[in-house]
Amino acid sequence: MTLVLDASLLRNLCQHAEQRYPEEGAGLLLGSVEGDRRRATSIKLLENRSVPETRRRRYLIHAVEMLHAEQEAEAAGVEILGVFHSHPDHPAAPSEFDREHALPWYVYLIIRVQAGNAMESRAWKLNEDRLQMSELPLMVEPSDHAEVLR
Amino acid sequence: MTVIRLATPLRPFTAGQKEIEVSSRTVAEALAELMGRYPGLKPHLYDANGDLRPFVNLFLNEDHVRTLQGQETALSEGDRLMIVPSIAGGGGKGSGAEVLTKVDHAALRTNQALIIAMLLAGFIADAAGLVLLVALVMALGALLGRPGFAPIYRLLRRMHVLKPDVLPDHPQPHRFAQGLGAVVLLGSLGAFLGKIDLVGWGLAWVVIALAGLNLFGGYCLGCAVYYWLNRIGLPGFTQTPPAGTPPGKRAGSSDA
Repeated sequence: MTLVLDASLLRNLCQHAEQRYPEEGAGLLLGSVEGDRRRATSIKLLENRSVPETRRRRYLIHAVEMLHAEQEAEAAGVEILGVFHSHPDHPAAPSEFDREHALPWYVYLIIRVQAGNAMESRAWKLNEDRLQMSELPLMVEPSDHAEVLR
Repeated sequence: MTVIRLATPLRPFTAGQKEIEVSSRTVAEALAELMGRYPGLKPHLYDANGDLRPFVNLFLNEDHVRTLQGQETALSEGDRLMIVPSIAGGGGKGSGAEVLTKVDHAALRTNQALIIAMLLAGFIADAAGLVLLVALVMALGALLGRPGFAPIYRLLRRMHVLKPDVLPDHPQPHRFAQGLGAVVLLGSLGAFLGKIDLVGWGLAWVVIALAGLNLFGGYCLGCAVYYWLNRIGLPGFTQTPPAGTPPGKRAGSSDA
């Protein structure tokens, strides 16, 4: 499986992650499933709802925001493909905490922000045995339709 | 007919179906009907004890069923029941210790109510023996890692007087808070032995007030002390507050 992401959307995600530094930024990837590809055509930037003391290493998206995102996705005829979040001064690989809280099927895009600059973006997916997350190829290409939702 | 709509991660377990029609009359029945038809969903929605997993949220139309009558909420024709996850994660070290387990807050509240009732009765009857009894129950509970009055709670549950209120939480801070209460009551007993009854009852009232704050205000000062000790890096205090919850506040009190 490959995550296909529009270049301008990735730039927006990186900017969001840099703006939130040193805290973690979070959001959702929306788009369509095309065979073995997940093509993200829009992103939804969200606030990190974790308590202020923990936001530098934790993120949280409330269920009610997920509900509204599901409703918006349904109305727009797209799917929530996955979740993105940033790791301030930490590798773009899932932590143990990420793995424990990961859901099946979703793509998890992690952006490493080093000293305020977005450095690296990598995509991951939870294995079926839940014991590990595997890296997915991330393909950045321009698309006709790219939208940033807030 | 009620439509159950599933968030995307659950659809592989329903052969890709987004919406499933059920004819059940309550949320609980609808979930049972769904599990009956798609057993593959079960391990993703329920844990080994048969409780809904902490990140699984049920919305009836626009309302979280928690704000309605929980799983007993009645369903009407045309209702939409959505199964939606809340999402958490993040980088950072030492996160392995942050796995939440289940804590039955109804058992904690029963414990607090009985502590308050017995200490108040002791104060009114001027019977320091009741303070001793509560101190022993709390100390034993802290040592065993469960609410001291848990046997009474279990009895009330069996009699269907009380219902469990299981929340994803850390049990250690509650254990520490109970131990702290026992220590204060031991101080109170020391004062009674030293014939300083005013101090003895003063300390008992501190425990009454803090148990009351916990019972009625949802704030556990002993738990907050535990998390503060964690923050200054004291060995043995390994847990940090659950994501989205300020130290000492009841777990899940924000809409997570």
